[in-house]
Amino acid sequence: MTAIPGRALPASEVTLAGPGDGPRKGRIGKTSFDSVSFFVVFLGLPLALFLIFVIWPFVQAAFYAMTDWSGFSAEFNFVGFDNFAALLTDPRFVNAVGNSVMFGIFIPLITIAIALTFAILITVGGSAKGQIRGVRGSGFYRVVSLFPYVIPAIAVGIMWRLILDPSNGLVNGVLTALGLDRFQSFAWLGNVSTAMPVTMLVVVWGFVGFYMLLFIAAIKGVPSEIYEAARIDGAGRMRTSWSITLPLIRDNVQTAYIYLGITALDLFVYVQALNPQGGPDNSTLVMSQQLFRTAFTEGKFGYASAMGVAMAIVTLVFAALVFTVNRLTGGKSEGGRR
Amino acid sequence: MTRNTSHSSSSAPDPSRRTVLRAVMYTAAAVPFGLPLAACATGGGGETGETSAAPTGDADPKNPFGMAENTTVDAVIFDGGYGVDYVEFAGEVFAGLHAGSSVKVSPSTQIATELQPRFVGGNPPDLIDNSGAQSIGFNTILDQLEDLTDVIDAPNVEGTTIRDTLYEGVLAPGTYGDKFAALNYVLTVYGVWYSGSLFEDNGWQPPATWEEAKALGAEAKKAGKYLFLWGTEAATYYQTLAIESAIKEGGDEVRLALENLEPDSWSNDAVQATFAIMKEIIDLGYFKPGGSGTQFTAAQAQWSNKMEALLYPSGSWIENEMKDQTAPDFQMMGVPSFSVTSGAQMAPTALHSTAGEPFIVPTDAKSVAGGKELLRVMLSKDSATNFSKTKLAPTIVKDIVPADGFGSTALVSQTDMLSAAGSDIYTFNFVNTYGMNQEQLPIWNSFLDGKKSVADLTKELQAISDRIREDDTIDKIEVS
Repeated sequence: MTAIPGRALPASEVTLAGPGDGPRKGRIGKTSFDSVSFFVVFLGLPLALFLIFVIWPFVQAAFYAMTDWSGFSAEFNFVGFDNFAALLTDPRFVNAVGNSVMFGIFIPLITIAIALTFAILITVGGSAKGQIRGVRGSGFYRVVSLFPYVIPAIAVGIMWRLILDPSNGLVNGVLTALGLDRFQSFAWLGNVSTAMPVTMLVVVWGFVGFYMLLFIAAIKGVPSEIYEAARIDGAGRMRTSWSITLPLIRDNVQTAYIYLGITALDLFVYVQALNPQGGPDNSTLVMSQQLFRTAFTEGKFGYASAMGVAMAIVTLVFAALVFTVNRLTGGKSEGGRR
Repeated sequence: MTRNTSHSSSSAPDPSRRTVLRAVMYTAAAVPFGLPLAACATGGGGETGETSAAPTGDADPKNPFGMAENTTVDAVIFDGGYGVDYVEFAGEVFAGLHAGSSVKVSPSTQIATELQPRFVGGNPPDLIDNSGAQSIGFNTILDQLEDLTDVIDAPNVEGTTIRDTLYEGVLAPGTYGDKFAALNYVLTVYGVWYSGSLFEDNGWQPPATWEEAKALGAEAKKAGKYLFLWGTEAATYYQTLAIESAIKEGGDEVRLALENLEPDSWSNDAVQATFAIMKEIIDLGYFKPGGSGTQFTAAQAQWSNKMEALLYPSGSWIENEMKDQTAPDFQMMGVPSFSVTSGAQMAPTALHSTAGEPFIVPTDAKSVAGGKELLRVMLSKDSATNFSKTKLAPTIVKDIVPADGFGSTALVSQTDMLSAAGSDIYTFNFVNTYGMNQEQLPIWNSFLDGKKSVADLTKELQAISDRIREDDTIDKIEVS
């Protein structure tokens, strides 16, 4: 820990110590202006911002979750865990949790399956002869598939609502033109059996392009020698995708799964645009929508805060599940691959 | 020693990409946690808002509430079907009456979310039009509102006491218990609307009973049209229609049972008879299919512009709402909601009419007197005439609409219905008072789609009433 004056450092240590470090001062060192200002700017400031804008609101939410605050006055009573107890028996919230979980399971699954397939086609799915490359015109597909992601979520929702309009929408127009008369005035968003799948489809449509790009970047990081070797060994494209690409970009898939899961568990903007009243028989009502309604139309901010806390718990449980499943199915442990 | 230290530092667990990502993820996961807090912090906010200068006994008739000079009245107005320009018009009149003072009108479509932090902080606006889907529930803020009785008892700009210039019963919807907390400015007439020209061309008569409506449905089908249509956010317009018919059939008993959320209030014979005939019409295919997936103004345009359906139940805002999407020479007209049988308790002309667009003045507002003064101006002749003329809807101020209804058949039809009804005017508020509409919408969408039986409909609507009645955290407002 202590610096030994006049001692020459071996070459290997110079590279490890980094530029301008000179003689070692130890890890903590003296409090010079340099080190103090460094800590203030790079540690103190971010930490302060984090505490004020992230942690403090959490603490507040958790506190208000234990009150009966209406949201429109400065007065409230402390009610302990009553709100949480009420949540468990509130059929509307339980239904919303169920719907959110359905979205949380299927949206990431479908999005990743499609995005991964496209990414593989674009990067390594091309001709089996010569250099490893994607299908013809892959550059074009890569650009085009990102378009939906560029459109703001609310615009995506409104646009699809018009496309799915029972009487004047594009979907039913095409289907009836093909002679499928049962789709005359068919309400895609108004039937319990179709509302949720259609909502999922819209969200997937919006996200596939972005995750495809993420996977393309990951696959590009895999050395092409591995693919060439596999090809020489006689592995087909399916085999290469399953046994080489997927294991090597596993970390990226996990990250994508978690991000998508978080999006799918929130989903406020999409459902509010597609089915603001909660869908047929409340079949697309999600937690965030019920939270908003409770807070602003029913004037129960305390109870709504409890819903927010419950939502955060559901989301954390989801993330923990994804990590566990990945670990159990042979994903690598925390240290990262070396 | 130094060597060792430096080596161990290089193999220490480095902040790998994954750890960083995980930290980011935990943060993101916790975002919903903070959602309701975007603007809370009850701690702040001065409770020091100037209390209103109580009007002195011998108030100046030109300034009955003793508004201070050079006041800027802060008005937040719901920017919905009626827009905000009618308040801006009143603001100009106001500025003309009080040199140096003015009105700042801020339009809003999100009254609750926008004003929530201002209520908590103790600096709400002076006047609010608490209307629209995002309005603030009255049972939430009732104790923070001014009683507006002194506005009604003040003289208007012309010098007549305001109370004497208003239609009967228009103060009732803004009265909660013994507090007159909200002044509902616009008179709304509920009924079933149709195209006068279309009916005339085909020799159809607007129905007065549900049986006649069913017969008209058969006619419509022959002409390749539907009897009714609906939009998903407005499916409960048919609930309003059903309740109206049931009240006409069974009288006040039905109304009070529903208003007070009584057990089995939806199972009343009159309600059931109405549901049954509606179900019959739905099963006959007289409703245009697909309504549960159609945005409501798009659906309404299918009625007002394409005339795919003959009838649409709604409030009288429908004419102004669909102004730009109504077929030329549509000649919109209305009839009161249908009776069920000839043995109905109320006359066929009995009408559901109530005042809407609740204006409120918060007690903590900077200038309570200014908010009341602006209301007084709005209730005077010029402002009220301007409203009816530009919005083609009556205000609560009487004798404003001329015989030609400013050229609007719907407005003429509204005044005709009002005078035909005489004192047979009723209203009900429980759906709005307890914010039940959102929950009822999906049920009605399924019912109109033909997917629910009358028994299901009744059971599910009753469950909502029961849940609210049993929930002690919700303040009940007894209706008699």
